[in-house]
Amino acid sequence: MAALVWFTVGVALWHFTVFVPDRFWGGIVGAFLGAVVGAMITGFIYYSASGDTLGNTDIVTLLAAIPGTLLGLAAVYAIGARNEARAA
Amino acid sequence: MGSRRRNLFILLFVVGLVIASLLVILSKETRLGLDLRGGTELVYEARPTPQNDQIDSEDVGRAIEIIRDRTDALGVSEPEIARVGEQGITVQLPDVQNAERAIAQVGTTAQLFLYDWAPNVIPNPDVPESTPADEAGYNRQIDAVRAASKQKPECFEDDCTTTGPRYYLFDSDSLEPLAGPEQKKTDLFLEFPGEEQPPNSEIIEVPQGTIVVSEPQVQDDPETETDEAATGPQEYFVLSDRPALSGFDITNPEQNYEQQGAQVPNVTFDFTDEGRPKFEEVTRAIAERGRAEAPPGVVSAEQASQYSDHFAIVLDNEVVTRPIINFVENPAGIDGRGGAQISGSFDLEEAQDLAEFLKIGALPIELQLISQSTVSATLGEEALDQGLKAGLAGLLIVLAFLIAYYRVLGVIAGLGLLVYSLFFYALIELIPITLTLPGIAGLILTIGVAADSNIVIFERIKEEARAGRSMASAIAEGYRKGIGTIIDANVITLITAFILFVLATSGVKGFAFTLGVGTIASLFTAVVFTQAVLGVFGRARWLRSPKLLGASTEQRVRWHFDFTGASRYFFSMSGVILAVGAIAFATEGLNLGIDFESGTRIKASLEEPATVDDVRAALGDAGVPNADTAEIQDVEDPDLGENVVQIQGELTPTEAAEIRPALVDSFGIAEGGDAFQETTIGPTFGEQVARSAVLAVVFSLLLIAGYMAIRFEAKYAVPVMIAVIHDLLITAGVYSIIGAEVSSGTVAAFLTILGYSLYDTVIVFDRVRENVPRLPRAAFSQIVNRSMSEVLTRSLITGLSTVFLIGVLLVFGGETLQSFALAMLVGVASGTYSSIFIASPVLTAWKEREPGYRARRRVIEEAMGRVPAFPEENVVAKLDEEAEREEGGEPGRSGTGFTDDSPRRPGPPEVIGAGDGRDGGNGAEADAEPRPAEPTPPTGAGEEASQEELVGAGQSEEERAKAARRAQRRARHQKRRRKHGRHR
Repeated sequence: MAALVWFTVGVALWHFTVFVPDRFWGGIVGAFLGAVVGAMITGFIYYSASGDTLGNTDIVTLLAAIPGTLLGLAAVYAIGARNEARAA
Repeated sequence: MGSRRRNLFILLFVVGLVIASLLVILSKETRLGLDLRGGTELVYEARPTPQNDQIDSEDVGRAIEIIRDRTDALGVSEPEIARVGEQGITVQLPDVQNAERAIAQVGTTAQLFLYDWAPNVIPNPDVPESTPADEAGYNRQIDAVRAASKQKPECFEDDCTTTGPRYYLFDSDSLEPLAGPEQKKTDLFLEFPGEEQPPNSEIIEVPQGTIVVSEPQVQDDPETETDEAATGPQEYFVLSDRPALSGFDITNPEQNYEQQGAQVPNVTFDFTDEGRPKFEEVTRAIAERGRAEAPPGVVSAEQASQYSDHFAIVLDNEVVTRPIINFVENPAGIDGRGGAQISGSFDLEEAQDLAEFLKIGALPIELQLISQSTVSATLGEEALDQGLKAGLAGLLIVLAFLIAYYRVLGVIAGLGLLVYSLFFYALIELIPITLTLPGIAGLILTIGVAADSNIVIFERIKEEARAGRSMASAIAEGYRKGIGTIIDANVITLITAFILFVLATSGVKGFAFTLGVGTIASLFTAVVFTQAVLGVFGRARWLRSPKLLGASTEQRVRWHFDFTGASRYFFSMSGVILAVGAIAFATEGLNLGIDFESGTRIKASLEEPATVDDVRAALGDAGVPNADTAEIQDVEDPDLGENVVQIQGELTPTEAAEIRPALVDSFGIAEGGDAFQETTIGPTFGEQVARSAVLAVVFSLLLIAGYMAIRFEAKYAVPVMIAVIHDLLITAGVYSIIGAEVSSGTVAAFLTILGYSLYDTVIVFDRVRENVPRLPRAAFSQIVNRSMSEVLTRSLITGLSTVFLIGVLLVFGGETLQSFALAMLVGVASGTYSSIFIASPVLTAWKEREPGYRARRRVIEEAMGRVPAFPEENVVAKLDEEAEREEGGEPGRSGTGFTDDSPRRPGPPEVIGAGDGRDGGNGAEADAEPRPAEPTPPTGAGEEASQEELVGAGQSEEERAKAARRAQRRARHQKRRRKHGRHR
């Protein structure tokens, strides 16, 4: 259940990347991957640190995925922007 | 063969098929599943036996054959026995309401061994010395197992009944047995949460060469006046595992009666040629030992019986009988030619079952019951009634809708749907497909799929008619162009159905098979049959009127909406909905039904009213394990009757089987026990359901992505996947928010959503794919906008038809169908929305990053300072319109107000910047094969051409005016060509 929460958070926040200039590495699909992978990574880090079971979820489980999503998006954006700068 | 003759032949063929279908329907009975007919379903998992520690496919196949023989012999009609996965077996027994007896009939391993008793008994050292050593058993199983565990491993002459040690699990506090004997320690925990060893439990290993058997103690019942023996608690013995004979040494087992006294049932049998001397030898040894142990002077058989030794017949580790070999009557043992008999404390039914088991043979594997459910016949009939009502109502509503919207074409589509329904029903009876409730849902959905095939084609026909083609050529073109789309979309549905069928559990399998067969049948009727009808009557007067076909050629303002431009708002909306869903997942979770959570749920209508405490006390008194922790509640369920109680808890199938007798004894069950529903799901089965669902989703997505990549382009596959994920998450989120129960039926619905969402997106993307080569200079967002405007009507009509069908399921469907329909309703709405507002914008954003489309966009931006929503609005199109205005005429359809009804509309097709690369659609030439559009690569030469032809920023007014005049001349020239063509 926790994995479902993290995944959904990643997908939900990804939808708002349409408001950011599309400089993501791999475009909107790259952003999708960045958001989802980031969400899952911080989710799992939280899960490992807290010692909670994957079946038990609460609002903190959800919040744990947000930094990962933002970091994932930022990382994909940074790679994309750097590539664009190089190409220019 | 001319087309008219071919169409006539097809119609005759269809008429023949209709007659054959009617005959099949009238002559054959529909095979109903348990949920529609009532009965018991048992799901087993194969486990190794002591004699067979490695299960292979052949073992499972042999077990299925044996189970089939057993159910046939026991008079169960139309049992369905099927393999699930590698080691699972489902057994569906229609009309069987007594689950306990069914379990005994089906799952008994029936491993039979005969032991020379006395030399093999390892006596209990703690019994008084007065007790004979061979009667020194144990009262508790744990004591016998502990004693057995102290024996050394040995296997005399390699003749043991086990291939290694066996393990038992006991509760450390109560010392009650929890599981075992098993070949592997891990198998002891299969029925426990997480398949882990429960706390406060003890594992004991019994080495090979020693076994623990149980024997019911026979007691005289002081309360009965007769001398009949009653069965008391079990006694346990530790035996050296040296059987003299096995079930393979016997033949011709039959149920018979004892020759003396009352009609006491027993089982008689003969020995095989190999078994006969073995039996004679062991009985001689027993007789000689008896004589040696008896005091001198014992000459009468009556006296000898006190000193004679036993042999024991052990069935599945239980001593069923332990007769003596009287050394006076049989001093040289018993000649095996006369056979032997098993006389236990059987009733007639048990003796018959045992005889059948021995006749059919032992199961080569042990069967562990992991799920059990019983549906009463009354509930099954109600479900069938509801399902048929829903199907009929759905068909009528879709028919009415099609006729209202497409008029004559709708009537033909309706005819196609009726023919489809007949074919489909005949196929169900002919194959035969067992019709289940999810199957009926699949059937109803295929009506939607069949209707959509017609809708796709009819929309095409209307486009062609509005483009100025004659109705005959519009129909021909409509079918020609629609067929590819329909095939692509239906292949997607078939892939989903196939994956579901291969991977899903039995209930969902029925749905998948129905969906698959229905999709193929609908392809035939919706495409071949309706085309033949229209082909035959193509020249009829009534088919020449566009109005009668709902395809008025009047100018109509079509969808003129910047779909890609507005996508950010739709993305935001989806993001918010998903965020709410994520909050619901985190805080509320999903209300997983018993299919996933495991345990037992029983609903029973009691004859006498009882409180929750009364029921709990009754269960406790009857010794039902875990009765104190079971969740018991009064529930309202008019389908079952009055005084309905629901009992739910973590009870194993064996424990749950004790509940019914307890309720019958204490309160009675209404209507002779018909109002009793029982479902038991073991943790293993729950995991199987969940695992198969996840696998089905993953494999479907992978296969469909592969298909999309081949048929379209790899980049088209990814947005499709994203849209599907979006739809599934939104549907699951709605389930979480409203707390609806997620059952295996819901999983089928989720997978159908997956199929529907893909289907819908494929239809939309197909139009994008078609328009890409036609608009070689347009930005991708413009191509997508135009494609959306062309297919939105179809998407809405299909979505609406499907919503009608699902609405019918919600209204008329029973509890199961309603749960299915809710998921479908949300999923279909989300699927229709996401195809247009999620998948297409994602595709746009991704494709526009390609250098070719980036360059196109740059050129248009340089010319106009922005990229208009539609290709017709590109800069030269505007100039063209202005020029027309200057001439005093009305602006063409290529003006800023996009009123073009069709991509084939003979407007100014070579508007610079709009880049319509089509041939202009000459109505007179409509029957001829139109010139194929020439795809222009998005990069390279095409790009240069765009830049050369596009008139835009950086050019003088004079140059722009010249360009506009060029465009006008081209448009007039084409108009003349078309006019000339029509006259000709």
